[in-house]
Amino acid sequence: MTTALKPNLARCVWTSALFAVIAMLVAASVRQILGMDPVMQWSTLVTVAYIFGAVGFVVGIGGFDYWWPWIIGKDIDPHDHSQHGAYSWRDYFKFNTDHKVIGVQYIVFTFMMFLVGGMFAEIFRSELASPGRQLLSDEQYNALISQHGTIMIFVFMVPVFAGIGNYVIPLMIGAPDMAFPRVNAVSFWLLPIAGFTLLSSFAFGSFDTGWTGYPTLSEQSPFGGTLFQIGVIIAGSSSIATAVNFLVTIVAMRAPGMTLFRMPLLVWANLATSALVVAATPFVAGAMFMAMFDREMGTNFFTIAGGGSAIAYQHIFWFYSHPAVYIMVLPGFGIISEVIATHSRKPVFGYRAVAFSSAGIAVLGFSVWAHHMFASGMASWLRVPIMVSTLLIAIPTGIKIFSWLGTLWDGVVRLTTANLFALGFIVAFTIGGLSGVMLAVVPFDVSITNSYFIVAHFHYVLFGGSILTIFAGFYHWFPKVTGRMYNEKLGRWHFWVTFIALNLTFFPMHYQGLMGMPRRVADYAPEFGWSNTLITIASFILAAGTLIFVYNMIHSARHGKPAGANPWGGLTLEWMLSSPPPVFNFPVTPRVIGGPYRFGEEGARHAIIPEAQPAETEKVSA
Amino acid sequence: MKVLPLAIIGTVIGVVISVLLIVTRTLPVRASEQAANIDYLYIFFLAFSGIIFAIVTLFLLVAVYRFRARPNDQREGKNVHGITWLEILWTAIPFVIVLACGIGGWYVLAKDDVYAAGQKDGQKIHIVGYQFGWKFDYLNADIALMEQDELVVPVGEPIAFDLTSNDVMHAFWVPAWRFQMSTLPTQTNYASVTPSKIGTYDVVCAYLCGVGHTGMNSAVEGSIIPKVRVVSAADFETWVAERKAEAEQADQTTTAEAA
Repeated sequence: MTTALKPNLARCVWTSALFAVIAMLVAASVRQILGMDPVMQWSTLVTVAYIFGAVGFVVGIGGFDYWWPWIIGKDIDPHDHSQHGAYSWRDYFKFNTDHKVIGVQYIVFTFMMFLVGGMFAEIFRSELASPGRQLLSDEQYNALISQHGTIMIFVFMVPVFAGIGNYVIPLMIGAPDMAFPRVNAVSFWLLPIAGFTLLSSFAFGSFDTGWTGYPTLSEQSPFGGTLFQIGVIIAGSSSIATAVNFLVTIVAMRAPGMTLFRMPLLVWANLATSALVVAATPFVAGAMFMAMFDREMGTNFFTIAGGGSAIAYQHIFWFYSHPAVYIMVLPGFGIISEVIATHSRKPVFGYRAVAFSSAGIAVLGFSVWAHHMFASGMASWLRVPIMVSTLLIAIPTGIKIFSWLGTLWDGVVRLTTANLFALGFIVAFTIGGLSGVMLAVVPFDVSITNSYFIVAHFHYVLFGGSILTIFAGFYHWFPKVTGRMYNEKLGRWHFWVTFIALNLTFFPMHYQGLMGMPRRVADYAPEFGWSNTLITIASFILAAGTLIFVYNMIHSARHGKPAGANPWGGLTLEWMLSSPPPVFNFPVTPRVIGGPYRFGEEGARHAIIPEAQPAETEKVSA
Repeated sequence: MKVLPLAIIGTVIGVVISVLLIVTRTLPVRASEQAANIDYLYIFFLAFSGIIFAIVTLFLLVAVYRFRARPNDQREGKNVHGITWLEILWTAIPFVIVLACGIGGWYVLAKDDVYAAGQKDGQKIHIVGYQFGWKFDYLNADIALMEQDELVVPVGEPIAFDLTSNDVMHAFWVPAWRFQMSTLPTQTNYASVTPSKIGTYDVVCAYLCGVGHTGMNSAVEGSIIPKVRVVSAADFETWVAERKAEAEQADQTTTAEAA
């Protein structure tokens, strides 16, 4: 076979093009037959080209190379592992069914998207550095803030946790891989398409509606608005597929002896998150489809002229997008439990309470969506119940914060970079949580909503919260993934620069919002001049801190000290394997004999890996 | 170090932080009767937030210092998996706090529900948001202003707004009134406010509404959006009379032209 026929990125080029062209021809023919004018309506043709080009990409990368013969009834080898595991760097650019390879693919790709989204933020922060207009037109400004939010949420924050979970969870539960390795690979390869779709919308005027994309403003967007909707649908599909995969893996593939209450808390957190994703994400996909049909097919779900309802979109959108906030932070809570317990040599304080609080947050998370809409004129009776449920979420969240403090107490606290990020997270997330309680209270919320106070709140939750947990996780498992240690000194620099700069960036925004500065504006009252200058400078420092991280990771992955199997003395299963772990993980299925955090217990173990029997070894390598 | 003294120290530091936050007064001028209760809620939030933040941070710092690992420290932490009474305590205390927040919020909402339809007395004003400005119609006085005309309201009298939009979602926000309401196409929202202080206040569009959103804020330099003007009852009467006279004159001119 020539390269162009094998499943790889080169084949993607022509399969995507082929699918796109066929779809455009079909669409044009339908328009011709129905007598629609003009037949070559370019926006319709580009829309179908993007959607079916995405399918073509999945075909090209190899998503159907196994499924298609099976569907048509050809003989297939169910033990075909030719696409499994990475033996050279090239394997990371291919359709790979190894959860560890997919995890790395996820993490590297989403982190690149984080850099892109961050770069957008630095550009519009430059515009905001002083009063008046200097740099950007209104169109450019609105496009950049919208791209910043969308990229960060849909192709960084949600999927990066899927990446970390992908790498770590099968190892933690003693499984050879995820339950559906090919679905897993497809869900990863959907992400670069989602990222490409969102970013390529710049070629079509981008979109200017913020990441929320409310109609009827979204109906006025240039064609880029349709690509925003397609991009979110693709990212959402990826997210749903991964969540189903996590659910089945965690429910069905735990090693013998791994009872629910012996699962590491990261696994608990991902179980709760995956349930949320499966139940909630279809709503955002539905909202996006309806809004896209309104734009491209002339339906009237939300349009004014056709008698649609603009507020209906908000309800459906937030029914996903509030749970999405927990989707973006619950797995981070799991990471923090792992990091603090391991680096402080102490069992997680109140393990069951922490585990149940994840479940509690997931359940309550469904009943709070309308707190984004207190000032939208929704049904007025709904406000008090939503306020109450929103306030109640503070309780399980508080339990987690206090339990982590309890974990530190009487421990032996090692200030590794991973642990520093976990500790910084506790402080920053407490601030974000407290402003969240304030915003839950209806009369206060409506006096301040859509202001910079909101921007401050959700950046404390998502940067001070999620992103610090992501960094903690990166540092914690870096030795496991690469087999090498990162540079501690650079890591500490990264932490302190990030932590100080994030507070200087986001804390003054509370003040701006209270004083009446609305969000998503390119200019503001002169009185906010000095605070905006400070914020912009601090945001540049924040970016510089991230560059330290990038250098540290790239340099250490090649030149770091060899890490050995278990540099942190962790007790969970992934630390019982070599770094990086063997392609098929465990040579023999491990047996779990106790809880995951039995620090300080004489001779205690979480699991044992029985001596490999020759027969079993053969079976695995076959 | 015992835990209780630390909690007390944390509380004291927290009270100091809270008091500092409260006295620095990062709130705009208070110009409506409803604003007072909202500001009291905010002060209550700051009070417990400062204390919780101080306790969490203090415990974290003390734990990190006191239980820090020495170089090549091979010790393990204490094998404690939980203390039930403590866990009950730190579930119960936040519960009480959020309960207080909920009751406070509910009370303020019930006392002056500024978002209920059907305000009985006072001025009734119809607001239409459009790209990019506001248009005000005085229903009692039977005055329809032009687009971009300033909003003038009497002090001390409740004003019932009903809000809608011609095109996309906007939000009518007067920070000095602690008052915000969205305007949506296809729907009418209701809100009321009682201005309590004579003066001019900024009118801000709080919801992203397109390319002109930035300029839809009277506080931004170069904006054509007028501020809201709160005047005495007598001045308001005069203003209404003037507007009516203007309208009649305009009518006559049109009639004359037509003739």
